[in-house]
Amino acid sequence: MSLTKIIISVLVALAAGGVFAATVGSGTLLSLLTQATIFAIFALGLGFLLRQNGMVSFGHATFYGTAGYIVGILLQTKAVPAEAAMLIAVLGIALFAFLLGLIVVRVPGIAFGMLTLAIGQMFFLTASRSRGLTGGADGMNIDWPSTLFGVPVSTLLKPDAMFALCWSVLVLIVLALALLLRSRFGAITEAVRDNEERARFIGIRTLVPRAAVFALSAGVTAIGGVLSALNTGFVSPESLHWSVSGVALMMVVVGGTRALWGPALGAIVYFLVKDVLGDYANHWMAIFGIGLIVVIVFAPQGISGALLRLAGKRRVAADRPPPAKRAAALD
Amino acid sequence: MTEYVLQAEDVAIHYGGVKAVDGVNMTLERGQVRGLIGPNGAGKSTVIDAITGRRRLTRGKVSLRGEDVSELDPTQRRQRGLSRSFQRTSIFAQMPVRKQVELASYKMGVADPGADADDVLRELTLTDLNDVIAADLGYGEQRRLDLALALVGSPSVLLLDEPMAGLSVKESLDLAHHLKALTKRRDVSVLLVEHDMDVVFGISDVITVFELGRVIASGDPAEVRANPRVREAYLGSAA
Amino acid sequence: MIHLFNGLVYGALLIVMCSGLALIYGLRRVVNFAHGSLYMLGAYLGYTIASYSNFWVALVAAPAIMLLLGAALDRFGFRLLQDRDPLTVVLVTFGLLLVIEDVVQTVWGKGNLSLAAPALLSRTVDLLGTPVPAYRIAVIAVGAAVAIGLTLWLRWSRVGLFVRASSTDPTTTAMQGVNTDLLSAGVVGLGTALAGLAGVVAAPFLALSPSMSSDVLIDSFVVVVIGGLGSLAGAFVTALVLGQVQALGAVFLPDVAALLPFALMVAVLLWKPAGLAGSRT
Repeated sequence: MSLTKIIISVLVALAAGGVFAATVGSGTLLSLLTQATIFAIFALGLGFLLRQNGMVSFGHATFYGTAGYIVGILLQTKAVPAEAAMLIAVLGIALFAFLLGLIVVRVPGIAFGMLTLAIGQMFFLTASRSRGLTGGADGMNIDWPSTLFGVPVSTLLKPDAMFALCWSVLVLIVLALALLLRSRFGAITEAVRDNEERARFIGIRTLVPRAAVFALSAGVTAIGGVLSALNTGFVSPESLHWSVSGVALMMVVVGGTRALWGPALGAIVYFLVKDVLGDYANHWMAIFGIGLIVVIVFAPQGISGALLRLAGKRRVAADRPPPAKRAAALD
Repeated sequence: MTEYVLQAEDVAIHYGGVKAVDGVNMTLERGQVRGLIGPNGAGKSTVIDAITGRRRLTRGKVSLRGEDVSELDPTQRRQRGLSRSFQRTSIFAQMPVRKQVELASYKMGVADPGADADDVLRELTLTDLNDVIAADLGYGEQRRLDLALALVGSPSVLLLDEPMAGLSVKESLDLAHHLKALTKRRDVSVLLVEHDMDVVFGISDVITVFELGRVIASGDPAEVRANPRVREAYLGSAA
Repeated sequence: MIHLFNGLVYGALLIVMCSGLALIYGLRRVVNFAHGSLYMLGAYLGYTIASYSNFWVALVAAPAIMLLLGAALDRFGFRLLQDRDPLTVVLVTFGLLLVIEDVVQTVWGKGNLSLAAPALLSRTVDLLGTPVPAYRIAVIAVGAAVAIGLTLWLRWSRVGLFVRASSTDPTTTAMQGVNTDLLSAGVVGLGTALAGLAGVVAAPFLALSPSMSSDVLIDSFVVVVIGGLGSLAGAFVTALVLGQVQALGAVFLPDVAALLPFALMVAVLLWKPAGLAGSRT
């Protein structure tokens, strides 16, 4: 997509969000969509890791929940203003993920998934047991101040404002990632993903780019966590549980990673379907399970892949399974 | 005494009880094309792996322009100008042709990676395919892309591991011609592993013959062709 | 030392669970996320069967049903997906987890249920001065029986040989004329049956609830990763150790005990991920 097209799409998306927020009267619908958007940001981070590194994390909820906790703890101690707390949470998690990434991205295949699962569980257990710091299993309330970036928080928390905020953040993140991927960094990470060995043989040090992608994916997910903390005013160990990571992964797979925005779409579809189905049946879990299986088996590129194919797009990067097998197949 | 642009001294690679390469001495002078021939399993590819850092040396030393590079990893060796292509095509399947070649050039610190990439792509007749995703290329085109990735950034030494593998006679000769021209123009010294005897004898200045992990003959093409031990071991009546 | 004893009981249970998980991984290279929910399903099936007959029938019937289910899972799931990326299959098992959880909640409701231990084992026995429920001793016996039985079977039987061969090199084994598809279906069936058996065995002393699958699953992963996926013996030992860590730790050092297994799992994965990363391509 050319730069002009990207900018136009972004402006259209932002405008559409604004119009939507202004015209839709139902607070409940807007709340639901806000939640969907927040989870879309979570899924976007997770999907970015899969798309650029070819890695599946079963512990991404760690970044999501911990972001909320960092904000909560910082606000509790009143150490920094709320705006700074939000920034610290995201950047701190990204930095932590980068350092962690330098160690863990070397771990191949499903072992990486299990590793992230184990790390996630450690965070979950720690949060559940640290009553003093985190409120333990009951979670903690987050003391947001009365204004945030000059805007009264009570206004921000209104369904239309909150939706507009979260949607805008989502769109801007997609923009930022899209621009990043058009840079050298994007080319380097794609090369490393496609053929790590050859990347080394053309002079690329592969560890740092992959750790950087891991850090970015964590940072994006952390943004979702911070927004969630704002939206609900609350954070609990549940947001760190591996089942949350699992659901996010489901959104990524169903949405597809062929397009950068695929996982976000997966999240929104999940919430909408869950809400719609919730009225008619209590079995949304089974339906999602079946849906996941169906997508994986019959439409591995997810909804975004199917949409792009319908739009007749020429095949682009990231629509094939991880490269190791393909390199071997190119005998 | 000539300063060799590449030198392998008493290089040995043993693994799992196999002595794939056992005490090999080889030199490459600047601007030279040295062909490496020998039966399958003679250790030719393993020597390339050793020189480029893909395999660890059990014994011996590899020097690039006098500098000992035996302990350096492939990335470091590439950055010092030691480049290679692969027998099993190794490219970036999901990236467009020009983008990946330009990236390779960029990583070599070339001032104008775009121009460098364009030059190499033109010489290898890949320019028309600049925007094609590598996975969509034909086999021969992919092999040329593999070469392009190794050629950019003007490496001082280029190791080619069966570049003609799977190509037709015409394609092979065309490619050989282009390679010779390109490497002469860019002052690249070449070590070439190949089975296609017409190509090897056609473009090599000197030839080394391998058998069972050892060098059994070395010299200019005429000498090697006449060497009875070589004939017996490998060439048979084909030469 | 009731804690040591209880640790042994949970360890025995994990042995039954984890051997199933290890077998499925060994043959199909699938990390079965649905294993915990299969355990749960086995437990609930056992509950229902027992309510119409008795515990002993359930002990045999529930795993038998799970065996068939597992074979079907292999035949119509794993076999058809065997050429796909392993992570794809793992996600499919995750989908399966969701389906099974939903089925269980639908059929049996969300409340806790309890399955009484059979009358024969309902008394307490005096063990070194401490009264312990006889049932729990039986659980240990089951764990031991499974461990010994599987080890003997794999080492000495013809089918066991095929299983070991197929786990190492499925292509060559198939080329030798072994019907690897039938073998896989059988082994996955067995692995699932073991999960179901663990469920039935666990039911009388751990309550039946919709959340029972999650905790056991994670513990099973810990055991199988630390024990080394190729090694049933490693899994057995780790299961016993983990059982002790949980039991003793819960009393003496709860926070450390909870985190330690995961820290170890992380260490193992960082040090030697090769066991999990698919030595079979």
